[in-house]
Amino acid sequence: MFEFDFMRHAFVGAAVVSVLAGTVGWFLMLRRQAFAAHALSHIGFSGAAGAVWLGFPPLSGMVVFSLMAGFVIGAEREGERGVPAQRDSTIGLVLAASLGLGAWFLHMSNRGSSLATTLLFGDVLGIDVPTLEALCGVAVLCLGLLAFLGRKLLFASLAPEVARARGVPARLVSVVFMAVAALACAACAEVAGALLAFSLMIGPAATALKLGLGPLAGIAVSVGLALGLSWGGLMLSWVTDAPVPFWIGLGAALSYALADLWRRFRSP
Amino acid sequence: MAENKRVCCQPERGLVLRDVTLTAGSTCVLRDASLTVPLSGITLLSGRNGAGKSTLLRAMLGLIPLQAGEILTHGLPPTQARQHIGYMPQSVTDAALLLPAVSHVRAAVDGVRWGLPLRLRARREEADRLLALTGAASFAHRPLGLLSGGERQRVGLAQALAGSPDLLLLDEPLAALDQAGQERTVRLLRDLTERLGIGIVLTSHETEALSGAVTRGVQLADGGLHVRV
Repeated sequence: MFEFDFMRHAFVGAAVVSVLAGTVGWFLMLRRQAFAAHALSHIGFSGAAGAVWLGFPPLSGMVVFSLMAGFVIGAEREGERGVPAQRDSTIGLVLAASLGLGAWFLHMSNRGSSLATTLLFGDVLGIDVPTLEALCGVAVLCLGLLAFLGRKLLFASLAPEVARARGVPARLVSVVFMAVAALACAACAEVAGALLAFSLMIGPAATALKLGLGPLAGIAVSVGLALGLSWGGLMLSWVTDAPVPFWIGLGAALSYALADLWRRFRSP
Repeated sequence: MAENKRVCCQPERGLVLRDVTLTAGSTCVLRDASLTVPLSGITLLSGRNGAGKSTLLRAMLGLIPLQAGEILTHGLPPTQARQHIGYMPQSVTDAALLLPAVSHVRAAVDGVRWGLPLRLRARREEADRLLALTGAASFAHRPLGLLSGGERQRVGLAQALAGSPDLLLLDEPLAALDQAGQERTVRLLRDLTERLGIGIVLTSHETEALSGAVTRGVQLADGGLHVRV
């Protein structure tokens, strides 16, 4: 299967996105922001539809829309316990507005169902070199920002009130992290599609957390699992002809179920 | 008990509130109140429910702005005194309950710095020291969510001690503990003040459990602070 350029591109693209999704997804799950990951991918879909309508590459629209949404979600006022009290409402309404815009963009671009299918389910086998370069750029930027936030992000995620009391700028950290998450969701959606980018962001990270691992081991397992799911999905898709997102979604749920079973047997 | 206008006099090493007015929503917590307490022993901040005890602790940390006056620790305003103050909120973290307790403490050890942790061994050793100090070493590698309320309090105390503060602000550390748990916590707090030479200011309704351990009491009522030594 590696004699074809499109397969080699797909494997490289999936690897880049897996490293990003495994790392960012771990922090999203730690901060209980699975809904944000879900929403950002779908918001990216609307941006991509808008970009296509205006004649730009879909990834550029995904990035712009997801970033704007990330800033709005991240900038929400924090409640007394250091966690935004209206977080789900804000995310839900930003999502609703974006999906409305997405429907309008699809209508205007006059390429309704075929474009929507591509954006929603992804086209990992259609990744070209410019897209691959753009994905690498987004990944380097996101991982660089995440490394910079590093310790403060972890502290503010685990003990928001204590972190603020020690002088950690929790709101700034939250806004920058949501921008990173938005970029990562856009990159994942390019590979797995808006609907299943979520599974690559959340599945491996949730499994790593379920195993009760500390941050370093947890992120390593999350990245490894994301890589296993995306590469495994590509290989199984090659063999079975079933779509890649099908295998990614199924594998994510299965790995979480196995981790859950392992924990149950290990617990006294 | 008496209205306190600079009752004690150790302003250079103490916690000083000077002409403080503080409100929480429509409630006036303090109105032109002043107080000086030394940073030694255990100070009990008491008051009825809703009087604003937690709000006052948060103001001491600089998390809530004052309407007037100033709060100084070692002569420094809250934002500059943060390295001197450790804090344990009323509900010890309920985030990331699947992560081992030790990870929560390690994150607090160097969590005020940007970037990635580089000195992993030093961070690990410091977290182990803090967990040993609070008697949490034996369950440090269990997920936080599997610990009892008292055990989580000890993890929270270890987090509060990160950065070697000389003042701990503890919000209701005895709440939701049974009598035996309260007695163990009070013994631990007294032990910490003696071994580390730090001061503790805590809020609590459990005055009986604290009797004998408290160095001084401060009652928050009617917008004022009333001291009992």
